[in-house]
Amino acid sequence: MDTEHADHAEGVELPTPTPWPMLSALGIMLIAGGFVTSFVVALVGILLGLIGGIGWFRELFPVPNHELVPYTEPAKRAAPIKVSPRRISHLALGAGGHRAYYPLRVHRYSSGITGGLAGGAAMAVLAMLYGLIFQHSIWYPINLLAAAGLPTMESANVAMLNEFHLSAFIIAVLSHGVLSILVGMLYTVLLPMLPARYEWFWGGIIIPLIWTAMLFPMFDIVNPALAAHVNWFWFIVCQISFGLVGGYVVFKSQKVETMQTWSLAARMGVHAMETEEDR
Amino acid sequence: MANPTSSLKEVGTELAPAPPGREHGTLTAWIQDLIFTVDHKKLGLMYVGMAWLFFIPAGILASLIRTQIAVPNNHVLGPEAFNQAITMHGTAMIFFFAMPMVFGLANYIVPLQIGARDMAFPRLNAFSFWTTFFGACFLFLSYIFGPGLYGMGAAPDASWFALAPLTSKAFSPGNNIDFWSLGLLISGVGSVTGAVNVMVTIFCYRCKGLTLYRMPLFTWMVLVTMFLVVMFLPPLSAAQIMLVLERFFGAKFFEAQAGGSAVLWQHFFWIFGHPEVYILVLPAFGVISEVVPVFSRKPIFGYPMMVAASVMIGFISAGVWAHHMFTIGMDSFSVTFFAFATLVISIPTGIKIFNWLATMFGGKIRMEIPMLFCIAFLFQFLIAGLTGVMLGVAPFDWQLNDSYFVIAHFHYVIVGGIVFAVFAGFYYWYPKAVGRMLDHRLGLWHFWIFTAGFHLTFDPQHFLGFLGMPRRIYTYQEGRGWEFLNMLSTIGAFLQGVGAIIFIINMIYAARKGKIAGDDPWDAWTLEWITSSPPPEYNFEQLPEVRSRRPLWDLKHPEDPDWRFE
Amino acid sequence: MTESALFTIFVVAYLFYIGKSLNPPYPREVLEFPWLGSFFLFSSSATVVVAEHRLKKGERGGFHLWWGITMALGAAFLIYTATEWYHLIYHDGLTLSTNLFGSTFYSLVGLHASHVLVGLVLLGIILVASLTGNIKDRHHEHIEMISWYWHFVDGIWAVVVTVVYIIGMQ
Ligand code: HEM
Ligand SMILES: [Cu+2]
Repeated sequence: MDTEHADHAEGVELPTPTPWPMLSALGIMLIAGGFVTSFVVALVGILLGLIGGIGWFRELFPVPNHELVPYTEPAKRAAPIKVSPRRISHLALGAGGHRAYYPLRVHRYSSGITGGLAGGAAMAVLAMLYGLIFQHSIWYPINLLAAAGLPTMESANVAMLNEFHLSAFIIAVLSHGVLSILVGMLYTVLLPMLPARYEWFWGGIIIPLIWTAMLFPMFDIVNPALAAHVNWFWFIVCQISFGLVGGYVVFKSQKVETMQTWSLAARMGVHAMETEEDR
Repeated sequence: MANPTSSLKEVGTELAPAPPGREHGTLTAWIQDLIFTVDHKKLGLMYVGMAWLFFIPAGILASLIRTQIAVPNNHVLGPEAFNQAITMHGTAMIFFFAMPMVFGLANYIVPLQIGARDMAFPRLNAFSFWTTFFGACFLFLSYIFGPGLYGMGAAPDASWFALAPLTSKAFSPGNNIDFWSLGLLISGVGSVTGAVNVMVTIFCYRCKGLTLYRMPLFTWMVLVTMFLVVMFLPPLSAAQIMLVLERFFGAKFFEAQAGGSAVLWQHFFWIFGHPEVYILVLPAFGVISEVVPVFSRKPIFGYPMMVAASVMIGFISAGVWAHHMFTIGMDSFSVTFFAFATLVISIPTGIKIFNWLATMFGGKIRMEIPMLFCIAFLFQFLIAGLTGVMLGVAPFDWQLNDSYFVIAHFHYVIVGGIVFAVFAGFYYWYPKAVGRMLDHRLGLWHFWIFTAGFHLTFDPQHFLGFLGMPRRIYTYQEGRGWEFLNMLSTIGAFLQGVGAIIFIINMIYAARKGKIAGDDPWDAWTLEWITSSPPPEYNFEQLPEVRSRRPLWDLKHPEDPDWRFE
Repeated sequence: MTESALFTIFVVAYLFYIGKSLNPPYPREVLEFPWLGSFFLFSSSATVVVAEHRLKKGERGGFHLWWGITMALGAAFLIYTATEWYHLIYHDGLTLSTNLFGSTFYSLVGLHASHVLVGLVLLGIILVASLTGNIKDRHHEHIEMISWYWHFVDGIWAVVVTVVYIIGMQ
């Protein structure tokens, strides 16, 4: 088939236009038409299809038909590509501007755990303080938190919420602890990405506000009891205390180098020993 | 309505002067040229013209559907006419708008992008077009010739996937279902031969230096698409052959009384059906992958990943079909498998979205119309993918299957994704095909009105789905809380219609009065822009030679060519 | 590739419906293993190779002979199938519409037979063209393609036999 588009001095050889393919297609349609109308239509279809097929075959055999299409006049041809006057500058690693920046040093994930625990502790202390001052029981907030997992707590009244319940205590401590650690670890990743100026402000206040806002519509579903009893002002204060304390702990932790700058071999651990010694 | 399209087709012929030796200028000469031509560019434009031609009746059907359910207890369409309308709308849009559009773009662009003179089998190419076209005509002839149950002409009415046993003789006497299966069989022949043709072209006719690894992404994704066509259209054809055998010769494939299984039909249909949605969306991805870099002035981010993701999508799409069948009572293993596969397929799709974003990131973005459509595409396709993942979670699907939520999901994909990408591609390549630019102001009107209409139509349908409105009901009672949202949706549908009309006006206007485009109006990088607009019949005086993924960049910046980095 | 996908669906339908027919005749009662037909078809795959070989060596006469034998074997296969069907229809009363077995059997075997028929037509075109002296070197590629197609049809027959006459009769 490669011969189909041979170049010549005055033009290019292209296949001759032909109606046979269209006729064959029409034949096929009429054959199908025969099914839904009468067999006469199908007969016509078969006839057309045959004529089309034979015509097509003779188009290709023994040699595919060609015609010479002359080149268009030079004025209508494509202009040669012009060299662009613009100069190109490349981004360089470490240079300012767009995207040539990798986090080369990051906080340890373990600092997230300590930070999360510290923040969680601060939050718990504040929450219990609130319980003590306004509801006269440090168990009040703990029971409320546990209500998410304990059906009995959901319908409890204030008096019940003020008592100590072992199961509620365990559930509350576990869920609070796990969540605190997870959020703390999120902090180790998030903090380096925040605007460098007022890190404490973004990490300590804005982020807790954002997640409080996200929790707000979900409370009705996840923990109706808490939604019914919560004091939003204190709730937010508690969240912010987490953000400030947890964020502070993470922020003050030692940064470690990432592997971004290492060679592939070093990253895969092949040359790890050497690099250790090199330092 | 017929006028715009016919002039649209004239547009198509204007750009390629009839070959010498034959008279031209008269209408007969024009028609003769259409019938005789084997030129990939003309055939591509004929495909595209056909797509718009069938877009119009399918669009009118859509607005009829929306008018009927705009208010409760409406009787613009009776139940029979309504069922015919949804069936014909779906079938025509998928098979005779979207598919010809895919083939049209592939036909026109691929040989140019790979620096070839024509397709591998030019005559077969003409045959493919004509079978597709006649298949479509055949389907629509049912409105005249289908002696259905209801006296006069009756179109197919068993929905676009023609569920068994609705299609059996007992439930659908007359011939309307046969128009559906035979019409699609005929056009299926065209699609498969066309796909083989494109594949061979890509494999055998790339110009010198254009390795697979340097191939433009549009061509790559068309290649994967054509693989999918070749592999997954035959199941549909096979099922349709069985249906024809059953309806004309009394075979027993899907008939429960004889032990046949209606579920088997669903399996066969969706084995084709899901890959089909990727057949449609992959070329759209391809368009986006061409337009986004050019208008961000940056090379595509993660080219190898894009290719890998396309190929992965091709493979995985073979194994997710039963997520359309969660509610027919599969065993729990199958449910788990297909739910899992459905979730997995969103990974390569996500990779692509991130790559487009990364291409834009830090780029010098030019807000031309193609880029606007691409940006809207990114938003809308993201949401469409997310609702898709939601539906892929089987228990969620049990709740929302066959509700308006599903309608919203796939229209988000098909309209918000594919149609938007098609528009982007049109604004991008129209100057190449016609030699004149589409008008920017009209383009802005088109973009904003169409986008507003799109969201007004399909956003509320998500909520209608949650509110329990089933799909395919021809009317509903008052007091279910569906009235307002349905009204909104209908208004949106008409707004989209206005947008589409502006687009058509723009095409006609630009063909006569548009700004002259020049060879390379967008300062782009792939080979189609190296030749004149419109390209001569033989595409290139001399076949180009390529040394990198952006051959035109290399020519424009000889001091800093791409091949240094490859 | 397309054709394989097409056949796959019919094969799946056959497998799916094995033993699900509600009324006789059942495969075990009426089918016989197609020794003769298979012999014709499989040996024709060999003869087409020989024919090609002769063509490459430039022996036109040998090519015509073996090509003709291939065609004859293909035709014999079709005749075998026709007699088998004749027997099934008029003796055993099995038609397309009798039961699921009938539907799947005739559609699968029929699809294959139609491919054999197409193959025969292609072979015939080449034979006529060659006898009239129109086959040139540049057509050898096409001849090779046709013989590949013939092998493919053969391979499909192996699958069909396995499914219909071995698995289906247990
Ligand atoms: C992110 C990837 C996607 C996922 C996970 C997905 C998932 C799904 C699921 C689970 C359904 C079944 C809903 C039901 O009937 O209950 C569905 C329906 C549908 N999807 Fe998608 N989809 C995705 C992408 C696409 C794409 C790209 C298209 C089209 C190009 C598409 C078109 C459709 C169509 C047409 C239906 C409706 C089938 C019907 O008529 O019931 N989807 N999708
Ligand atoms: Cu799907």
